Amino acid sequence: MAEEKTDAWDATQWHEVKKGDTLWKIAETYYGDGSLYTKIFEANRDKLKDPNMIKVGQKLRIP
Amino acid sequence: MKKYLKPMVLMILVLFVAACASNPKPAEEAIKAAEAAINAAKGEAIKYIPDQVKALEDGLQAAKDAFAKKDYKAALSAAKDLPGKAKDLAAAAATKKEELTKDWKEMSGGLPKMVEAIKSRVDILSKSKKLPANLDKAKFDEVKAGLPGVTQMWDDAKKAFSSGNLADAVSKAKTIKDKAVEMMTTLGMQVPAGAKG
Repeated sequence: MAEEKTDAWDATQWHEVKKGDTLWKIAETYYGDGSLYTKIFEANRDKLKDPNMIKVGQKLRIP
Repeated sequence: MKKYLKPMVLMILVLFVAACASNPKPAEEAIKAAEAAINAAKGEAIKYIPDQVKALEDGLQAAKDAFAKKDYKAALSAAKDLPGKAKDLAAAAATKKEELTKDWKEMSGGLPKMVEAIKSRVDILSKSKKLPANLDKAKFDEVKAGLPGVTQMWDDAKKAFSSGNLADAVSKAKTIKDKAVEMMTTLGMQVPAGAKG
């Protein structure tokens, strides 16, 4: 997990992609349900074109 | 002649002190001056430092009580420092107002972001077939049930601010901040640095 903040009160939730991560796994971690990965995909459409293509070190918003 | 000067001066002083003790005028004027100074300062001060205003008003009342008992010396003694303290009150109120304004500015910018983040997470978790490992259903339900109360309190804080009640607005905002931090922690969310401490 990593925080990317421009101000001290920014409440955006972040996850830094680690080796072996998939959106499904990340959704399981934060939501308990991998099928909700689409929520993460939608929140990161500016940086993700394909939900299966995430890169190590990428910082994803977790709504 | 010189040898009588000292005793004469002393005698005059004694008579002067005795005259003051039995003369209501100085005490009366001191009480009037104190009352005017407190009334001039308390308008703003009562909103920000009510305890200090009360302490001064208690002091004024003590002077009035002593005056009513014809203890003019005590009345004068109780009233004479009050105008100076009233002046300090205005400065202290200005400092407190500045501090509260800063707190409000920070929290009014930050709290809606926290509440939105919590709402978003609660909405998604409500659709989840299974909650994350570190969150049990009872705790989640508690957060979910508490959200409308937080939203309502935020509306109340904004109303208090709009009506000029800055101290109340900041007090409510602090309560919301504590609640929001608690909710975020329960949900396993990252708490913004500004909301910590």
